Amino acid sequence: MTATTTEPIEPVDPHSSTNHESAQSELGRGWARFKRNKLAFGSLIFMGVLIVVALGAPWLAPMSYTEQDLTGRLLAPLTDGHLLGTDQLGRDVFSRMLYSLRTALMIGFAAELVALLVALVIGLWAGWRGGRTESLLMSFTDVMYAFPTYLFSVLLVVIMGRTVFAIILAIGIAGWVTQARLVRAQVLKIKNFEYVEAARSIGTGGVAITVRHILPNAVGPLLVTTSFAIPGAIIAESGLALLGLGVAPPTPSWGGMIVDGYTYVLAHPHLIAAPLALFSLTVLAFTWIGDGLRDAFDSSEEDSA
Amino acid sequence: MLAYVARRLVRLVLSLIAVSIITFGLLQLVPGSFSDLAEVGSTALGDQTSGDGGGDSLASRYGDQVPAWEQYARFMTGLVQWDMGPTFKYPQSSVEELMGEAFLVSLSLAVPATLLTLLVAIPIGMVAAVKKDKLADYGSIFTLTTIQALPGYLFALVLVLVFSVGLGWLPVRGWAGPEYMVIPVVALAVQPTAMLARYVRSSMLEALRDEYVVAALAKGGSRRTVLVRHVLRNSLIPLVTVVGPIFAALATGTVFVEVLLGIPGLGRLFTLAARTRDMPLLMGTTLFFALILMVMNLIVDLVYGLLDPRIRHQQRTSSRWRRPRRAGLLPASQLVDSRTQGGRDDGGGGSETPSPDVSAADGTEVRR
Repeated sequence: MTATTTEPIEPVDPHSSTNHESAQSELGRGWARFKRNKLAFGSLIFMGVLIVVALGAPWLAPMSYTEQDLTGRLLAPLTDGHLLGTDQLGRDVFSRMLYSLRTALMIGFAAELVALLVALVIGLWAGWRGGRTESLLMSFTDVMYAFPTYLFSVLLVVIMGRTVFAIILAIGIAGWVTQARLVRAQVLKIKNFEYVEAARSIGTGGVAITVRHILPNAVGPLLVTTSFAIPGAIIAESGLALLGLGVAPPTPSWGGMIVDGYTYVLAHPHLIAAPLALFSLTVLAFTWIGDGLRDAFDSSEEDSA
Repeated sequence: MLAYVARRLVRLVLSLIAVSIITFGLLQLVPGSFSDLAEVGSTALGDQTSGDGGGDSLASRYGDQVPAWEQYARFMTGLVQWDMGPTFKYPQSSVEELMGEAFLVSLSLAVPATLLTLLVAIPIGMVAAVKKDKLADYGSIFTLTTIQALPGYLFALVLVLVFSVGLGWLPVRGWAGPEYMVIPVVALAVQPTAMLARYVRSSMLEALRDEYVVAALAKGGSRRTVLVRHVLRNSLIPLVTVVGPIFAALATGTVFVEVLLGIPGLGRLFTLAARTRDMPLLMGTTLFFALILMVMNLIVDLVYGLLDPRIRHQQRTSSRWRRPRRAGLLPASQLVDSRTQGGRDDGGGGSETPSPDVSAADGTEVRR
């Protein structure tokens, strides 16, 4: 579920023709450009490592993330085999950090997938049909803009509870609006191209045109926004945990570790410094990949609606 | 102009009503009714439910026997009269009292943070624009994009680690005096500064390409005069659209910093209400947030129109959905992407546009 959404395998420049060969070479050139960007390419490798660590956390983590040792609370790093010491309940900080990575990546990818699906359905529909559907979407997005996204997420978590599933939905549902607007803008642009007209003139149906012709040509900009939205979702997950509205304990999350560790920050600063460092590196890696993709497949032709 | 303002005000009220209905509707889905909450006795509700039932008590407002629409109507009339009644968690004090106090606290952080942002961001952006394609430009742009990618509360934590834990200069958490304001204000200003500086930079680069700059230089104006008198002035107009949302985001979006540092502001109140499922307080704070943001956006659009006659004209004639592009509430990264991307400002990467200094001097710049 994870790797496919991030690897830059499918972007097609919206200006390239439907001619498959030129699309392929455009893709190849974009990939070459991406590889030349050392920061972005390094980030991609780092993200690969992160995904492997997240998937392999049960085998890689030296200890259990739930097991408490009330006699060994708040141990300093490198004591009793605890690489980063223990937290206020005597749980191994390093292991909890790894499992937090798992939580963050899972929720980040899944929430963005939810947002993307909703955005695609609504954006394609509104862009293609126009008229009342479109103005309804636009007024709805206007209202959603008045809602800060975290506020909406918090309300949804309050309703649905603090399960992983609920939090994925809460972040995803709060985040689809911007992307729906982008999809719509793309559709509006592409739908006037000649090849769409050609398809229509030979009697192709609306759904077929949208899926076969418009969607593939709108992938480029979407890929870029998606790569920026995933770290956004990861930040949102930690933010919710920070407010005490993240995944229910004992499932670890960076936000939860930070807020717990904050109580002891004067005596044990590593309790927040360690998760903070891994958290920042993860978010930055994603962002730099996004930057690289944007530069490589530069398809943003000033089309924000 | 008046018609435009009136139309915008009507839309603002309608949007606010929509937000209130969505919020109220969502809160109806929250598991556990008012009476359940009272029975559990987690709050000070016990005596309220069984109590007199008359007047302003919680049970008469939110009890099981009161239909949902009536609860909603009563709350909304209360909102208009600024008398929203007691909350579940604090039956002794009213929603508006709690919100008023908390808002003052948030405001006392947001105002200095906004000022700090303006003071720091504009010079940084100017320097980056003037030194385009030089090390100072690349360095600052890279730093700024990095800052923007990270969550805002991270900077509060870093500041705490450095100045509270490391140096022991500032308190770790609480709200008891001016020294408690330093870390939150600086932390809150970091991200808006990064955003604004990038705006200043791209806005100035755009202005530098304009013909009147060439003309001013040709007439013998010194570079400094041209920069300050012409370029800066013109490039500040679009910035109005960003400052408004920045302030609004600061006045409302301090949630994480407030919760982390234990500051009794609006964001913390909202979080508290959410955690305790305090319906009236949650309604009140949510609507208040939405109101601030909408009013801020409206003011920005109006000021923008006042500053730029072209836009004023557009406002007069525009259809319902077309209006000046504003920053809105997009997350910072997307915001900057959508507005400054256009192939021009790619975050310090290799840009093909010639240096504005060169193009301004020989005047051969072909506008894109």
